[in-house]
Amino acid sequence: MKHIPLLTAALVVGGLLSTTGCTQAQTPAPKAVASDSGDWSQWGGSQYRNMYSPAKGLPDRFEPGKLLKGTENFDPATQKNVKFTVKLGSQSYGNPTIANGRIYVGTNNDVPRDKRHLGDRSILLCLDEKTGALNWQLVVSKLKSGKVNDWESLGLFSSAVIEGNRLYVVTTRCEILCLDVEGMANGNDGPYKDEAKYVVQDVLGADGKQAPPIPPGPKDADIIWRYDMMDELGVFPHNASNCSILIIGDVLYVSTSNGQDWTHVNVPSPLSPSLIAVNKKTGELLGEDDAKIGSRLFHGQWSSPSTGKVNGKDLVFFGGGEGFCYAFDATPKKEADGSFLKTVWKYDANPPEYKAKDGKPIKYPAAEGPSEIIATPVFWKNRIYVATGQDPEHGEGVGHLVCLDATKTGDITKTGVIWEFKGINRSISTVSIDPATGLLFIGDFSGFVYCLDSETGKLHWKHDMKAHMWGSTMVADGKVYVGDEDGDLVVLAAKGGPKAEVLSECNLGAPVYSTPVIANGVIYIASNSHLFGLHDSVKAKAVKP
Amino acid sequence: MKLLTPALLALLCACSPTQPTVIAAPAAAAPAKGWLAWRGPNQNGTSAEKGLPSAIDPKKPLWTAEFPGQSAPVIANGKLYIMGYLGEGAELQEGVRCFDAETGKMLWEKRYTDFLSDTIYLRYATSSPAVDPETGNVYTLGTQGMLKAFTADGKELWGYSMMEQFGRLTFPNSRTATPLIDGDLVIVRGVTSNWGNQGAAGDRLYAFDKKTGELVWACWSGERPRDNSFSHPVLTWFKGKRVLITATGDGNVFCANARTGEAIWRVPLFKAGINSTAVVHNNDKVIAIFGTPYEPGQMVCMKIPQVEPTHPTNAPVVVERQAVELWHTPEISTSTSHPILVGDRVYVVAEKGDLCCVDVNNGKILWRVKLGIEQRNAGLVHADGKLYVPMLDDPASKGTGEGDAGTTGAFYIIEPSDKEGKILSHVPLEGRCFGTPAVYNGKVYMQTTKKLYCFGKAGNNPGLPPEPVAEKWPAPGKATQLQVIPSEVLLKPNQTASFRIRSLDANGFVVQENIDPKSLKWVGYIPPTARVRASMKGAFNANGQLVAGADVVPSAGAFEGTGADGLKGYIRGRVLPGLPIKEDFEKFDISVVHETEEGVKFAYPPLPWIGPRFKFEVREAGDTKALVKAIDNKFFQRATVFMGEPSLKNYTVQTDVMSEGKARKMSEVGQINQRYLIVLRGNAQEIEVNSNQERLKVAVPFKWKPNEWYVLKSRVDVKPDGTGVVRAKAWKRGEPEPAEWTIEVPHKIAHQNGCPGLYGFAPQEMRVFIDNVSVTAN
Repeated sequence: MKHIPLLTAALVVGGLLSTTGCTQAQTPAPKAVASDSGDWSQWGGSQYRNMYSPAKGLPDRFEPGKLLKGTENFDPATQKNVKFTVKLGSQSYGNPTIANGRIYVGTNNDVPRDKRHLGDRSILLCLDEKTGALNWQLVVSKLKSGKVNDWESLGLFSSAVIEGNRLYVVTTRCEILCLDVEGMANGNDGPYKDEAKYVVQDVLGADGKQAPPIPPGPKDADIIWRYDMMDELGVFPHNASNCSILIIGDVLYVSTSNGQDWTHVNVPSPLSPSLIAVNKKTGELLGEDDAKIGSRLFHGQWSSPSTGKVNGKDLVFFGGGEGFCYAFDATPKKEADGSFLKTVWKYDANPPEYKAKDGKPIKYPAAEGPSEIIATPVFWKNRIYVATGQDPEHGEGVGHLVCLDATKTGDITKTGVIWEFKGINRSISTVSIDPATGLLFIGDFSGFVYCLDSETGKLHWKHDMKAHMWGSTMVADGKVYVGDEDGDLVVLAAKGGPKAEVLSECNLGAPVYSTPVIANGVIYIASNSHLFGLHDSVKAKAVKP
Repeated sequence: MKLLTPALLALLCACSPTQPTVIAAPAAAAPAKGWLAWRGPNQNGTSAEKGLPSAIDPKKPLWTAEFPGQSAPVIANGKLYIMGYLGEGAELQEGVRCFDAETGKMLWEKRYTDFLSDTIYLRYATSSPAVDPETGNVYTLGTQGMLKAFTADGKELWGYSMMEQFGRLTFPNSRTATPLIDGDLVIVRGVTSNWGNQGAAGDRLYAFDKKTGELVWACWSGERPRDNSFSHPVLTWFKGKRVLITATGDGNVFCANARTGEAIWRVPLFKAGINSTAVVHNNDKVIAIFGTPYEPGQMVCMKIPQVEPTHPTNAPVVVERQAVELWHTPEISTSTSHPILVGDRVYVVAEKGDLCCVDVNNGKILWRVKLGIEQRNAGLVHADGKLYVPMLDDPASKGTGEGDAGTTGAFYIIEPSDKEGKILSHVPLEGRCFGTPAVYNGKVYMQTTKKLYCFGKAGNNPGLPPEPVAEKWPAPGKATQLQVIPSEVLLKPNQTASFRIRSLDANGFVVQENIDPKSLKWVGYIPPTARVRASMKGAFNANGQLVAGADVVPSAGAFEGTGADGLKGYIRGRVLPGLPIKEDFEKFDISVVHETEEGVKFAYPPLPWIGPRFKFEVREAGDTKALVKAIDNKFFQRATVFMGEPSLKNYTVQTDVMSEGKARKMSEVGQINQRYLIVLRGNAQEIEVNSNQERLKVAVPFKWKPNEWYVLKSRVDVKPDGTGVVRAKAWKRGEPEPAEWTIEVPHKIAHQNGCPGLYGFAPQEMRVFIDNVSVTAN
């Protein structure tokens, strides 16, 4: 440590993946559609991770309302265009996903839902989509090693991906879990049956000894299988494990969150992988990246993967913790010393002037120096869009947004750039591209929202939020929804021109580290302390379900 | 050998605690006036000076100096002292510079190379110097733990390496509290993992005699630290006692007697460490602010708890917040900014960059004005009706072009009223602003990560207020206790230590100085709470001196002295033979039943070593006994042990080492030689030399297997020009030693001396083993 180390922890950006028929669209220009059902079943809505929703008729202003005196609950009488608010913990970085009538959101345990689990835990809540009521929760105890591997109180980061009756998520214990979307309500499905012990790992009782198992009840998560990346791969996660998992066919692609230790120089496990492929049915390891990023990590490995079919081949796109963007062949290849995801192309996202000045290297994390990639690469029309950034603990600095030709191969640093934009500062936000206009929106950590032409990279406007931004923009229905660390939720017009048009601004009462998402006509946005479901109240009344 | 002056000789024989390096005898020095401490003359960031600037122009400073840092300048008798850093890579050095406060002419400097610290990202020079009003002497504590005392003209008086001598831990954020001077003491704080009952990690305060460097007392806040803390202690009065109050790395506000180190009370406030400095209002209220960047905390105002300390463990009385809270506001949180107190108003820049004005009497926020996105590590000051406020990044300068974010700080001058904070001046400064400004003699001083600025009017300011009158201390009451100085000694076999004895009243004020040491009766003392019931091998002679035994076996323990009138005082002592150090652990009685590992027994590691408690255990390892890195305390995945004194040099360290392991998991095991860490890295299959990994880190491949013993050997050769080479080799135990070194690392500004030590890093439940430790002179 955030330092504080350094604490840090950024990771908000993780992404999830999804499902939708999982093997993608066949055309080079994928339909940027979350899913036919109107659900938002993975980080970014689809495996392309474009922060866009085709939803229509969305409101452009909200009144989040006031808390009922002496409570943490909002008074509905003071709210406008709010479907419901659900109390979360005190820190919430897990971006919501919504599938088949259930909402999943990561938070911490500051407001325990189950009195048997008190103290710092990471929590995945499964809520009813209509009412926000709790279906079940996953309780993840903290790693004993503390903040270096599992920063206190941050809660669960990973955005769950749902496919049928299965959910996949990365926990803050650096594990991949496959869960039953029904939870324990339909019994304890295996092969994993040790849930009672799972929830008390490294938990000490009042006597200072290992706490006894807590048998799961109907409102607890049902773990189907578990893959421990620290134990199996020797991974040393830095501060937080956050990946939002990508699914292609029967395979999960998962960032390991491998990173440095406190020294912020030493990588204890430089030979451990950064990206792995795992059988979604069994949790068996199928392969690992061939890029050997571990020995070159600037800090940690926190980008979530995306995918697209290019030249007839499924590629996995991945932001490296050393500042390269990669495309890996999604099919693991067996070699003498293991099974590998082979690099198809790689791109150094740090321009030369970010790496050296007057012949002298610029040291990470100097403001004017190189950064890693924490945002998720977005696949759109055979191109990849991604920006560079750093752990928020490192503060502001120069950034780099690029549009890459995903059809190239080899080292495409010189050959693959369609356009680049250096006007952006460090960003851990994932881009939004509006297919209706081709306009691209992205926020940066310095608090600016940018609107660019996704074809040319030409800047239309930038808007100053006057607060750090961790989450991403969401474009839908001609509007851009975006939150910031001051707790502001701003709605901008999704149009070009010289100046941003602010449609409305409200404050959610707590920092917003997440990205607004849209499912079945409802906008979901988590502040640190509450999940808001936002919709057009008047219309919702008219069409009562 | 240099000839010692009689005075110096006397000091050396006084053989202090963990001995300070005594460089010069204290000379008579003049009283100092000026802005002597980072928070100014009133300890709260205010000054009564008039005629200070209402605007500054970054293009027209009075002077600037190329001395970056995150410090606050202090000014005494026309001289400005400030911490800073210069150089790059392995040659970077942190230290103190003295400038002519009027002209910016550099008068002297002392700089030190970082070693073995966790400091990253140029987070150097985070503390500030402190000037003793009585002598004008200057005290500094570097991020790596070098505590130094200088005269006003830069002559070093004494010093400690707090890391090697007190087990002071370092942190990536490197926040370091400024030394505090009170009467005859200089008090420093930090999270330490020392020896004996200070072995467990804790946020501790250490008080030294400001003239001689002798340790006078140490105390602990009473809880396990959750993090480092940047809160600087504040002096005040409590029930007739001179006390200091500070927030701590364990999330408490803590109060201790500044004269004796007696822990008085603590109020738990937060689940993480608290960095923000507390302010004391009217000697009856404390205002503390806590929070993390990611989770807002609160500003809390509490009555000073009216409790008496309990003995004998010297743990503070825990007072629940509800019992003393007057008000709190969740609308103000800060993770690292420091508030100031101006009359009944607290001013602070809250977490997201709002300058807030709060009424101390009811917690009402009178106004707030957003100055930027963030202030970090900094405080503000108030003088002449104006607030001087640095902000980390200048909101006006970013977004104006490519490549400008994070390179420009902001400086505001604000006129506060109860209605608003009127911005009089807002300018960009080159470099980010982590430091805190000082205002004195018509000038405003501010250090950024690029330079030190001086703004304002040349010459003397007629608006300078008279010097504050020194506080009068109460006349002492009846003597109730003895204070033995030094309170701790480190001796070699047969070495003798002398002590100064004084009696104190119940509040800790001196009743009688220089009590005849011969009048005390001394017996070995084992604190009732001690887990390791050990004694130091040694005895007091008829002259009241402690003479270490002739035995070359390390030992440690405490003594209780009783005066003629029945008053008692205590000291702790350790005996560590010098070179050679030999330890094969075979004499350890392995009989302590392990608390968390069933069926396992162990012995406590050598008591006089610094740092091994709760991190290492002596265990059976096959047919031998060895020092084993424990894995049940995962908070200390990594642990460093120091086995001697920092003055040692020119020696060879050899150890047998082993790591457990499986498929993709091994640990790291190493040794420390003259402030260099030599480490076998399991998962990386390398041998590495480093000393603060960001500064010096060189590795070469070295294949080694889990569960097999290897031999690790190192030496450091330093040339007269100050350059040096670190040499190390490793080979499988039982095989012949290779003729060649496995790795040789040159260092331009080499460490000239340092304490030998051991190292283990077991992040993945793979234990490491160390045996047959040998440190021999070259």
